[in-house]
Amino acid sequence: MTLVDFCNLLINGTIEGLLIALPALALTLVMGVARFPNAATGDYMTVAAYAGIGVQALGGASIILAGLGAIAAGSAIAVVFYLWVLRALRGRPPVASLVASIGIAFFARSMLTLFVGHDQQTFAVPLVRAWNFGGIRLLPTDLYVAAVALLAMAALFALLHLTPIGRQMRAIADNPDLARACGIRSGRVLLALWAVVGVLCALGGMMFGVKAVVSPDLGWELLIPAFAAMILGGIGSPAGAVAGGVLLGIASELSVPFVGPSYKIAVAFALLLLVLLLRPRGLFGKAILAR
Amino acid sequence: MTAYLVAVGIIALIYMLLTIGLNLQYGYTGLINFGVVAFFAIGAYASALLTLAGWPLLPAFVVAMVAAAVVAYPIGLLSLRLSDDYLAVVTLGFSEVVRLVIQQERWLTHGVQGLPGIPRIFHSLGVGQYAELATLAALALCNLAAIGLMLHLVRSPYGRLIQAIRDDEVAVEAIGKDPRRLKVQVFMLGSGLAGLAGAFYAHFITYLSPDQFLPLVTFYVWIAMIIGGTGRTTGAVAGSLILMVFLEGSRFARDWIPGVSEVQMASVRLALVGLALILFTMYRPQGMMGVRR
Repeated sequence: MTLVDFCNLLINGTIEGLLIALPALALTLVMGVARFPNAATGDYMTVAAYAGIGVQALGGASIILAGLGAIAAGSAIAVVFYLWVLRALRGRPPVASLVASIGIAFFARSMLTLFVGHDQQTFAVPLVRAWNFGGIRLLPTDLYVAAVALLAMAALFALLHLTPIGRQMRAIADNPDLARACGIRSGRVLLALWAVVGVLCALGGMMFGVKAVVSPDLGWELLIPAFAAMILGGIGSPAGAVAGGVLLGIASELSVPFVGPSYKIAVAFALLLLVLLLRPRGLFGKAILAR
Repeated sequence: MTAYLVAVGIIALIYMLLTIGLNLQYGYTGLINFGVVAFFAIGAYASALLTLAGWPLLPAFVVAMVAAAVVAYPIGLLSLRLSDDYLAVVTLGFSEVVRLVIQQERWLTHGVQGLPGIPRIFHSLGVGQYAELATLAALALCNLAAIGLMLHLVRSPYGRLIQAIRDDEVAVEAIGKDPRRLKVQVFMLGSGLAGLAGAFYAHFITYLSPDQFLPLVTFYVWIAMIIGGTGRTTGAVAGSLILMVFLEGSRFARDWIPGVSEVQMASVRLALVGLALILFTMYRPQGMMGVRR
């Protein structure tokens, strides 16, 4: 592997990692505040990406409009399933919500394939030639996609640290009993949480769709990498999810010359096992977790 | 018609074995195994590859069981040191990796082309119904043995111990038992049963390909267990029969609802599985027949 190849893999990995960080953030928020691993995260991404495709087909090829459509669909589906299913399961052991979230994942995906079919779709984005700096290639599309991911993260961190609702979310994540005793109304906070989760999933699904293709398995296939990124960064830590995503992206890109592109999920899984074995609380996790 | 019923019965009994294994893991011990299909696949491919290489069936079946249990050992050891949710994520990831390996390692598994011509069980009895009836009988025996083993286990001091792990792990530790070792043992035992089910499946269907081992299979088994009632010995029997009626019923439904393609039917089936998982966890966590605790 030459230096140029290495740089290319590094760039690709960073961009891929920034995108993985979006669902990883969604997972880690739910894990921190609602306290269960949300297996439907991936399928929220898929549904939102298809919504984006649909809006683009209707609304005359505007990618911004498609993005807004995806965001609306993503937060709608996340909020609806919270109100219908997950709200009723609060107070039950986390496994109830976990099993239900698998059910939600299957239900959402099957409704999608029933009405939209199994065909792959693509976003209409202008085709642009990659910039070439002495062999180091950079696709402008990738830069846009990465910029959107970074903006979304900045907005999320601003929400978590600068707004009352974000502070309440962090309070519930830290200590739900204390938060309740302080008069924080968890119902409202959870509603906001799921809307934010939906937006993160939507942007993740949309950006992966813009970068490659949209297929019914888009999100499900990203679930294990997103889990790995979350655990790598430390469960419940948003900054950790971003770092974990980028590290995972780079690791899986750098592994391609050795194990081939089809084993990316396996690399994510191996990394997940390694972290669980050596440092179960992740890179940025607190020493004592809730469980 | 008889041939059809026998075939459906065989598949139902295969699911029953899987459900008994999962019930042992989750229902009695509280281990969230989202990777049942991985151990099923390992059993199926192990036995198929060995018999295709000229092994007789019986040792191949034993190896299939042992292989699935042995693979479960490191997975269990790794994740059982952590909390339950991690085991769910690790096993789900593991099942996807196993499917990926089956897809990619063509030299061993023929990849997506699949593995044809796996010898039937009791093929010396001819191709006709006798061989299938004998298969059905053998499977029924295995299920009876598994149920017997489970009843025995559950009533033994060991069984009380594993149920105590499910209910209060700290208390088990406090009385000087090592819950982790017990959990790994139960995880291996359940996975071994899944391996055995896989071997039966391979030699009944006689053709294996990676798309038979989607995560959906895992959740068919979960549905069967949840419907039957988790932690109930008879639950696995009832649950897998109900699952079978549903799977086969959806096939017939397509015959009298015109204009529904197989692809659409697959979507409907997935939707109903999802809906069942949602509704059962919401409204009847104790299963179809159990009493709410």
